[in-house]
Amino acid sequence: MIELRDVRFEYAQGGFCLRVPELSIPAGTRAAAIGPSGSGKTTLLNLISGIERSEAGRVETAAVRIDTLSPSARRSFRITNIGFVFQDFLLLDYLDVLQNILYPYRLHQDLRLDEDARARARRLAANLGIERLLQRCPGELSQGERQRVAIARALITAPKLVLADEPTGNLDPATKLHTLDLLFEQCDALSMTLLMVTHDHGLLDRFEQVVDVSNLGKNPPLGKNPP
Amino acid sequence: MRDSLYLAWRYLHYHRAKTLLLVLSLSVFLGLPLVMRAMSAVIQRSLMARAQSTPLLLGKKGSSLDLVVEALYFQPKAIEALTQADVDEIDDTGLAQAIPVRTGLMARQHPVVGTTLDYFSFRGLEIAQGRPLATLGECVVGAKAAKALDLNLGRSILTSPSTLFDLAGVYPLRLRVVGTLKPSYGPDDRAVFVDVKTAWVAEGLGHGHQNLATADGDVVLKRKDGTATANAKLVQFNEITDENVDTFHFHGDPTGYPVSAVIAVPHDDKAGVLLRGRLVNDLARQLLRPAQVVQGLNEQIFRFERVLRIIVWTVGLATALMFVLVMVLSWRLRADELRTMTRLGCSRWKAVQIMGAEVFLMVGASVVLAAFFGLVIAHYGETWLQNLILRGS
Repeated sequence: MIELRDVRFEYAQGGFCLRVPELSIPAGTRAAAIGPSGSGKTTLLNLISGIERSEAGRVETAAVRIDTLSPSARRSFRITNIGFVFQDFLLLDYLDVLQNILYPYRLHQDLRLDEDARARARRLAANLGIERLLQRCPGELSQGERQRVAIARALITAPKLVLADEPTGNLDPATKLHTLDLLFEQCDALSMTLLMVTHDHGLLDRFEQVVDVSNLGKNPPLGKNPP
Repeated sequence: MRDSLYLAWRYLHYHRAKTLLLVLSLSVFLGLPLVMRAMSAVIQRSLMARAQSTPLLLGKKGSSLDLVVEALYFQPKAIEALTQADVDEIDDTGLAQAIPVRTGLMARQHPVVGTTLDYFSFRGLEIAQGRPLATLGECVVGAKAAKALDLNLGRSILTSPSTLFDLAGVYPLRLRVVGTLKPSYGPDDRAVFVDVKTAWVAEGLGHGHQNLATADGDVVLKRKDGTATANAKLVQFNEITDENVDTFHFHGDPTGYPVSAVIAVPHDDKAGVLLRGRLVNDLARQLLRPAQVVQGLNEQIFRFERVLRIIVWTVGLATALMFVLVMVLSWRLRADELRTMTRLGCSRWKAVQIMGAEVFLMVGASVVLAAFFGLVIAHYGETWLQNLILRGS
């Protein structure tokens, strides 16, 4: 699902450089990306999703050489193949829950907002336990409910890959575990690959693969989580 | 584009107070110059049309503008009065038809205009209901006055007392409505027309009372040489009816009774020139062409409008800059939202489209609102603004 080889990336303003000699995450895997702040976890997600483009090397996501695509093609690829979950949810306060879930359909012509999409949104909301909140605005929801809406938004396009950037960072312990369970459940049900950035090492045993971003250039990057 | 409009609409709807404020500001910015220009043109046209349809106007020496404003537009300016003798003099020249205009009285905020039947044919005023003036005490009301005062045939209206605290002063006269006029879209619509003699009665120059010959003895103070002197018990009439009309009479020389102005309608151009020549050196009176006077007023309005336009555009520019500032600040506050869009796969162009849709909806709403208010003001504001200009002139 994700293949990086000899990748090098540096921001234009300098000061930070990410090198990935080799990284491979098979399809359907639940993977965690760990590492101290500033080690390049978010940059890694940006490279995999095509938000940033590597200066050298090869980035393959869902069997597509994303580093060779034009910006427009990368956007089109991203919205149809990748779902995002952010730490601070980034829901739109002026849209109700249903419209927030359907938000990606409003952003790109490659996605068609039809009755199927609406039915899928309702189904997802039911699966995530937020079906009674569909007409409410994010301001009226708890943190846990908001994150479930964000997960539904990430999954609505049935992407092949879900990239989650510290999705449980703002949640209390009980909500965190419940949200994680729901995310795993949905990814498994839809056979999606999940790559999740986390600082919470207590959660790592729930992942099949752990990527230590700070060691990507030093040690063999790929390692199966010990059982 | 539909999605962009939808997202823009939801954003604007969610932030309704801010949106409403911006839309109102923009409406004023867009509407004010248009309304001002349209109104000014309409008013100047309607003022000029009235003046141009009045060939010559005779009045006492003084402010020519005040004379025109009072005699043509019925705005009280307290001009000095001519006399009926001046009306007769114009008639006697054989050069023009003389139409007296007596103004100054009011009836519930509407001007009471004393004139003759010639005025109606001269102005082309047509009766909508009822009949023209025939006897003392009758009135014919303009279309707007009839509507505003709810006056139909057979109803009556009192003239407003001019000396409220003067017990010995002139009392209101009840005027019977015998006709209403079709709309003429000018000052005549607001007026209550009476015969000039009725106007004199209303001013206290003529009156009607109990017949002293048949009155009780305690009403008469003394009788001498065929003249009777009555005391305050004598019943004076405040309404002219068929029964008491014969008791109404004037004291003194009717040729000395006041008229505010005389509209002189020359029989031809040459007669007009001759008439002007006769009165050009008159020390007490002026014979003027109202169109020339109104032209001067219009030039003043135009100069004032030019200054106003500069102010409006300056305020408009400030409003536009404020709008841009609010939008830029709003987009900066929404940086997270824009970043999320981009990360999810939205193009910059699409993001611009969504922001543009917000501006489009707000500007669209402002244009509609400005047009609506423009129409309302153009429809209802013309008379109001015309009165304002004439009152302040």
